[in-house]
Amino acid sequence: MITGTGVVKTFKQRGKLLGAREVRALRGVDFTIPKGGAASFIGESGCGKTTLGRIIAGLETYDEGEIAIDGVSMSSLKPKQRQPHFRKIQMIHQDPYSALNPTRTVHQTLHAPLSLRARQTGRSRAWIDERAAEVLTLVGLDPGSVLSRYPHQLSGGMRQRVVIARALTVDPEMLVADEAVSMIDVSLRLGILALLKDLRERLGVSVLFITHDVATARYIGDDGELYVIYRGQVVERGPVDTIITDPVHPYTQSLLSAIPVLHGLERPGEEPVVPLESLDESQADHGCLFARRCPFRGERCAQERPLLQLTEGVPQEHACFYPQRRSVIARPMSEV
Amino acid sequence: MSATLIPETGAGTAASAMRRNFWRGVWRVMRRKPSRMAGVVILIGFVLMAVVGPMVLPEHLPSNPDALTRPPSWDHWFGTDPQGRDVLALVIKGSRYVLLTAAVTALITVVVGTAIGLYSGFKRGRWDTVLMRLTDMKLTIPGLPLLLVLATVWQFGSPWQMGLVLGLLGWGGVARAVRSQTLSLRERGFIEAARGLGLSTTHIIGRELLPSMAPYIAMNMLISVTGAVYSQVGLFFLGVLPYESDNWGVMLNLAVFQAGAMITPYALGYLLAPLLAILLLTLGIVLVVDAMDEIFNPRLREE
Amino acid sequence: MVDQAPGVRIDGLTVVYKTPAGELPAVRGVSLTLEPGSITGIVGESGSGKSTLALSLLNAVQPPGRIAAGSVEIDGLGDVVGLAGEQLRKARGKHIGYVFQAAQNSLNPLKTVGKQLLDLGRSHGVEDLRGLVREAQELLARMGLDGARVLDSHQHELSGGMRQRVGIMLALVLNAHVVVLDEPTTALDMITQANILKIVREVHAERGLTTLVITHDIGVVAEVADRLAVMYGGRLVEQGPTRKVLGAPRHPYTKGLIRAIPRLTGDIGEARALPGRPPTLATVPKEGCVFRERCELRMDVCDTVDPDAVTHGGRTVACHAVSVKEHA
Repeated sequence: MITGTGVVKTFKQRGKLLGAREVRALRGVDFTIPKGGAASFIGESGCGKTTLGRIIAGLETYDEGEIAIDGVSMSSLKPKQRQPHFRKIQMIHQDPYSALNPTRTVHQTLHAPLSLRARQTGRSRAWIDERAAEVLTLVGLDPGSVLSRYPHQLSGGMRQRVVIARALTVDPEMLVADEAVSMIDVSLRLGILALLKDLRERLGVSVLFITHDVATARYIGDDGELYVIYRGQVVERGPVDTIITDPVHPYTQSLLSAIPVLHGLERPGEEPVVPLESLDESQADHGCLFARRCPFRGERCAQERPLLQLTEGVPQEHACFYPQRRSVIARPMSEV
Repeated sequence: MSATLIPETGAGTAASAMRRNFWRGVWRVMRRKPSRMAGVVILIGFVLMAVVGPMVLPEHLPSNPDALTRPPSWDHWFGTDPQGRDVLALVIKGSRYVLLTAAVTALITVVVGTAIGLYSGFKRGRWDTVLMRLTDMKLTIPGLPLLLVLATVWQFGSPWQMGLVLGLLGWGGVARAVRSQTLSLRERGFIEAARGLGLSTTHIIGRELLPSMAPYIAMNMLISVTGAVYSQVGLFFLGVLPYESDNWGVMLNLAVFQAGAMITPYALGYLLAPLLAILLLTLGIVLVVDAMDEIFNPRLREE
Repeated sequence: MVDQAPGVRIDGLTVVYKTPAGELPAVRGVSLTLEPGSITGIVGESGSGKSTLALSLLNAVQPPGRIAAGSVEIDGLGDVVGLAGEQLRKARGKHIGYVFQAAQNSLNPLKTVGKQLLDLGRSHGVEDLRGLVREAQELLARMGLDGARVLDSHQHELSGGMRQRVGIMLALVLNAHVVVLDEPTTALDMITQANILKIVREVHAERGLTTLVITHDIGVVAEVADRLAVMYGGRLVEQGPTRKVLGAPRHPYTKGLIRAIPRLTGDIGEARALPGRPPTLATVPKEGCVFRERCELRMDVCDTVDPDAVTHGGRTVACHAVSVKEHA
């Protein structure tokens, strides 16, 4: 299980002569991802979801707060000691083209982490080859035909499978998939998503899915939790289907309203919410972070910042003073 | 595509098969353009000249007092020098010093430059700052005046000495270039993944970073060869170093200042021979540099 | 102005690329009509030939590619395939506006947007450069941007959504009436995408354009396009009114593609991946149907005979299995 409490991250932008500008990427985020479970972070670009994913995978440091992996607090450990813990969390990058070294064959790519493991556990060379074939089979590739290939000889979908296979060589507890299918051909995407889903079920690997595409998040973990992140703050959190069908935060609602409607197959939602202004990071930091763009803002919103909490009559946590269920997503024609 | 690698064959054979494939790929890349083959032939020619030439030729070249400073003829393709020695033989004898120096320089430039650039770019932080300030300082030292000063102290009788000095003067540019390459590569997904998998720094640098930079390093190495040739020939030409060494620069100096190549056509061969050798060597290198990108990039190598 | 929208008729277009294995077709025998004032969406995966088709509209296929056969007739301009040199350069921009992929790399990073606008104006011999700037500012303002500020900015100072709007402005500022948008929303998030699509729709209607949208994302086409054309392996396999094609797809590839989209509601298990993978230039079958390797309706005839595009009731499908069913 991986938990985070009050994770804060601030980037200092240098370059200007006077006054380094600070960008608050994360403003105190809590999360829990159970063993074998699923969670999805959604939000628009620049909301901090990728930074949070990288922090969870140990690729980025955080300024405040606490991350615990299987109950071990990371803040109390020295960087070197953290490494074996963070190794249980493997990142699947968005771009399968840059995630594989173009000068190394699939065999070499898998061999490196496996031989390290073999050395640590005193296993034989034969085990390395056996295990390499095994992880490739797990991700749906034929070891015989793939092992000797260089990345450029593989399609985008196959590369992403190799990336997943490489992550599996260290028997991870969790995969962090950051927009893992956005650069893959549409007809192949579902295959990768199904693979991640399958790994969850077969190996008990939990999956953290980071995306702006809510439907793919639902496909991987409809039994998990959805975190809607806006400007470094979780504004709504709860079971995936609850949030998709009954969102209460206006930001979630506008995010869901923006999903294209497959006219002819679906009918648009009844009360779509369209944000009026585009995101501007220099917007005021006091009050509700979404207030400027929110069509439903009240007086309180400019003064106080709402915190993520449960209120009566709403099944999911939210950070809004005026939670109101709205049906915004498109429904299939057949459902009516 | 036939699968040449079967997992059961074990790591050893797999590695040797990879190596075989690599050399086969190099051959394929070279054959793609006739100019590359020409470059390879030129370079092999020079290496043979430097290795075998001085062994075949007598230590003291026979001088013919009847043929002093002669223009090119059938007996002496590039004529003779003021002592009546064959100019072509002199060029061949001189090639060893020139090429050995160039090789030592290139090696030192690339090894030191790459090591410092890699370390600096990979570790970043304090070490990066220190090393790069050092590099900056080194880059600001004017090379030629320093060499002239050094020449008053050292005689540079041995090519090793010369190569060492030129190499230690030359790594700055390579270090900067390698550092910037490292900085951009370390942000790539596969380096991040290697760190996430807990692979050692040695592995990351040696197996992931270096191969990706190989074309770059190889190019720098070849180009620093030409640089080293120009510098040493220049030094000898200026006459600040003793004339005892067999070097093309000495020949140029003598051709101009002693044989009077600028005023008499008889010494033209004496002047042109070392110049042609330098030109040809540079040409060979330029033609081969063109292939480096394709040799070290598996995609370009295969196609 | 609205009555100016020109029609575009692509007929039997074939574009080939020279490779070591000979000339291979990236687009083969494609016929498609863009009705005046309509938005047509072309959907396809990598290697489907959709981008090559879009470039053919400007006769801008770069070597080693070339248009081997067919014509692209644009009202008021004639056959683009026959144009060359100065005529062609003038036609691009003045008649046909092209918005490059998410405008990420199509702007010069060293020049401000305004400078690039002036370059564009000068190269097309625009006399009234002030008027051009005014027009550009109006267009940008129409798309919700501060025109003066944007013209003063460099590429890196603009967000993805802003760059895309600048791309649209540059395509329209010379008063082009045929506009091609290549992957207009790739790499943009949902909210920005929705905003851009809204702008595309509105500007299209206001300026009386004929628009072609190239994308891999069916959702994008569903949002903006009146007509939908599906490409696979260089062939146009199905086309028709968007709603009809989405509601009742006929070609097995279209069906598979729609089924492969995860949905927001309903049974997750309904989404199915298409088996196999899309062909590349080198692996497209030379004869027979291009889709047969991945097709669930494959018959013997598919191996040898390339199905003709059959039009019936405003819809066109190129599939042996489907036409058989319709006749039975």
